[in-house]
Amino acid sequence: MSDEAKILDRGYRSYEGHRSGVGGAIRSVAWHSMRTVLGVGRPARHKIFPAVSVIIAYLPALVFVGIAALLPVDLVGEEALPSYADYVGFIGIAIVLFCGLVAPEVLVRDRRDGMLGLYLSTPLQRDTYLVAKVAAVMTTLMIVTLGPPLLLLIAYTFEGSGPGGVGDWLVLFVRIVASGVAISAVFAAVSLAASSLTDRRAFASVGVILVLLGSSAVASALVEAAEMSTNVRLFDLLAMPFELVQRIYGETGDFPEIETTLVAGANIGWALFGTAVVWFRYRRLAVSR
Amino acid sequence: MTATQEPRRERRTVGSVAALIITFQVLVRQIVTRSRLIALGLMGAIVVVVGWAVGMSDSTDRDLDPLEQSVRISVNLGLTVVVPVVALVFAAGALGDARDDGTLVYLWLRPMRRWPVAVGAFAAALVVALPLTVIPVVATAALIESSGELVTAVAIATTVAVVGYTGLFLLLGSLLKRSIVWGLAYIIIWEGVAAGLGRAAARLSIRGYARSVITDRVGVEVASFDITQGWGIVAPLVAATAAIMLTTWRLNRMDVA
Amino acid sequence: MSSLPPPPPVSGSRIDVPPVAEPMVELSNVSKVFGDVVAVSDVSFTVGPGVTALLGPNGAGKSTLFRMLCGLTPPSQGQVRVLGSDARRDREVRGRIGLIGQEDGLFDQLSAGRFVEIAAMTHGMVDPKAVAVEALAEVELDPLEPKPLGAYSKGMRQRVKVAAGLVNDPDVMVLDEPLTGLDPVQRRRMIALFHRLGDQGRCVLVSSHVLDEVARLGSRVLVIAQGRLAATGDYRALRDLMDDRPHRIRLRTDDPRTLAARLIDTGTAVAVRVETDGLVADILDVDRFGRSLAPLARDIGIRLHEVEPLDDDLESVFRYLVERR
Repeated sequence: MSDEAKILDRGYRSYEGHRSGVGGAIRSVAWHSMRTVLGVGRPARHKIFPAVSVIIAYLPALVFVGIAALLPVDLVGEEALPSYADYVGFIGIAIVLFCGLVAPEVLVRDRRDGMLGLYLSTPLQRDTYLVAKVAAVMTTLMIVTLGPPLLLLIAYTFEGSGPGGVGDWLVLFVRIVASGVAISAVFAAVSLAASSLTDRRAFASVGVILVLLGSSAVASALVEAAEMSTNVRLFDLLAMPFELVQRIYGETGDFPEIETTLVAGANIGWALFGTAVVWFRYRRLAVSR
Repeated sequence: MTATQEPRRERRTVGSVAALIITFQVLVRQIVTRSRLIALGLMGAIVVVVGWAVGMSDSTDRDLDPLEQSVRISVNLGLTVVVPVVALVFAAGALGDARDDGTLVYLWLRPMRRWPVAVGAFAAALVVALPLTVIPVVATAALIESSGELVTAVAIATTVAVVGYTGLFLLLGSLLKRSIVWGLAYIIIWEGVAAGLGRAAARLSIRGYARSVITDRVGVEVASFDITQGWGIVAPLVAATAAIMLTTWRLNRMDVA
Repeated sequence: MSSLPPPPPVSGSRIDVPPVAEPMVELSNVSKVFGDVVAVSDVSFTVGPGVTALLGPNGAGKSTLFRMLCGLTPPSQGQVRVLGSDARRDREVRGRIGLIGQEDGLFDQLSAGRFVEIAAMTHGMVDPKAVAVEALAEVELDPLEPKPLGAYSKGMRQRVKVAAGLVNDPDVMVLDEPLTGLDPVQRRRMIALFHRLGDQGRCVLVSSHVLDEVARLGSRVLVIAQGRLAATGDYRALRDLMDDRPHRIRLRTDDPRTLAARLIDTGTAVAVRVETDGLVADILDVDRFGRSLAPLARDIGIRLHEVEPLDDDLESVFRYLVERR
């Protein structure tokens, strides 16, 4: 071999700069997943469902703020507008619709497109990949569970009809955040579990919505018609998160006969169960490409 | 150029009935998968178990009379959840799946009329969806209140609803790519919420007519608007027929992969 | 309506088919636009019986062209005629086309035998079972294999698609990348089958982006690049039309240096590279070179052993038309 031989241009340069590591990979995957769900950078048809859900979630808040701002307080009356505790229940349909859309898009798509194998060839492992996906689903769901009550709080505060002192304001703020996180955590876990069981996004959506609406209808029938114990309501995956929200605000809720500890326990249990289903499913999943 | 030609194979015109039967046979095999049958069968079974539990409970403690309970559970679980979801999965998949996976061309680029293909797809979805809906919903109603009139009313209402939804979702599958998600949105937003808000919207929902049939036959008030049983049956059938005609029109104009 | 001769008798041995005067496939100023993307732009050509290869790089518009040809999607502009008619509207013509598409979708729950039999039924064949057996035999698959198509390999699925495309004795066969996934032996057999079908007077249109395959399919090509028809005809004739590009020819001789000097002196070659037992010359005017080479060798008293064109191949034509180099 000649001593003078040398390669001048390989057409490839190794990256010598800063590497953000696993944390950066998690942030990157979570951010990209959120953009995909919301249709950012995608054709218009992918923006329709998220847009409809967000509009349904925020429109009542905007209307209520408008009513409170334009009409005299004595004319409107406090009871005419829903409380912060009632608001998420009021927009429940938007949350269910969004829930049926978000997790299947975030989780199923990667398995179908072969992206999962690509992600797992990076510093991400299965666990850290799932952390990124859970973060994406949680954060996206919070757009409809946390955003509208926060908007109400800020708007009411600016127009002078918010909580009295700083202490009350902070308590209300913490309750809003806790409610948003709680409801997102349960729905995220349930929808991720359903999405981990099928490779078709459409059927994952059907599964998520069936589990939420079906469990509610069955629990209602069993309690109201079959006169079973009211604790059967703990299996109502649609109502329990909303019931927990009521309790966080100190309200009695729709099912006062069920103890708050049981309501909280049921929600934690469902969130853990859903997470466990996803975790076990991904541990056993064969990634072929 | 001089070419040589093998003797050609004998053929005849593909009649409409033959085209319909072939389409039906092919699509039934395609839409019936084990996982779909298990999942949707399980859903029906849960509804039956609820009916059994309600039927077994002590009737003297009940706030509602058994007939009304039976009707309400059949409507709330059966007509609201089971019927539209089962119809959606099979009807939207009949042509939608074939279009998405590129197999529609094997029915499309053929010397066959389009309408038998649309009707064959409708028949395939209906034949699969009917037993998966009518049996559990009627069984649930019967387990709570074993009245012949009630069972007939629920059976007619469920059948009518399945026919209507199947037609509607068949059309949806031929029109849109993510038809199941659009169908879900329709079930939740229109049939679930909008139809409950006003009579005009209820008159444009399949569920509204199915409920009217039950109210008209057994007198339990679950309908959003008053119409005779005849209209309650005819309207969803007309909707299904119109949907099949539109599906035929769509097949003539669609882009096939 | 069809420009084909009247249908031949059902039974009997091989028969001669008179030459077909009118084209079997005709595209006139056809364009196809998807949103902002122009997939096919102002393409016109006619194709008659025999094998014709549609050549172009990935994304050139080959599949879109074939889909328009079969009526699967309408052209945005222009007119597509197959056997004198529009396949999108004419039911009878749809029965005379055999399409082997690029999509991998098959009715995965069915066996190969049943799938091909259903294809025959949808074409109204009188004995669909027998037709299916025959068509599967053509691609060397077992019609009695009970395994569902979902369990078949890519190559076997491809052969099932070809069998399904043969059941109706199509006058026009449209094959979009039909050799994908096949092993070398199967490729050779499939190419022989296409030639046999072309020899029977059928119009066989085969698309490919693999030059070796196209070269083996035949010399008649349609070259498509960036949605436009770049060239049509015999690729060797196309090479001759590439006037602005020298032909490269290898000459084996006993005195390469003398011949090289003479070729440059007389202006017959524009460039010459001398090798141990010959030389490689770049020639602009092939006809003049052909006429003058033998007298020139005689004049300088050298012996010519071999004259071999080096770039008279499809790859050269393709590079010139598609890659502009």
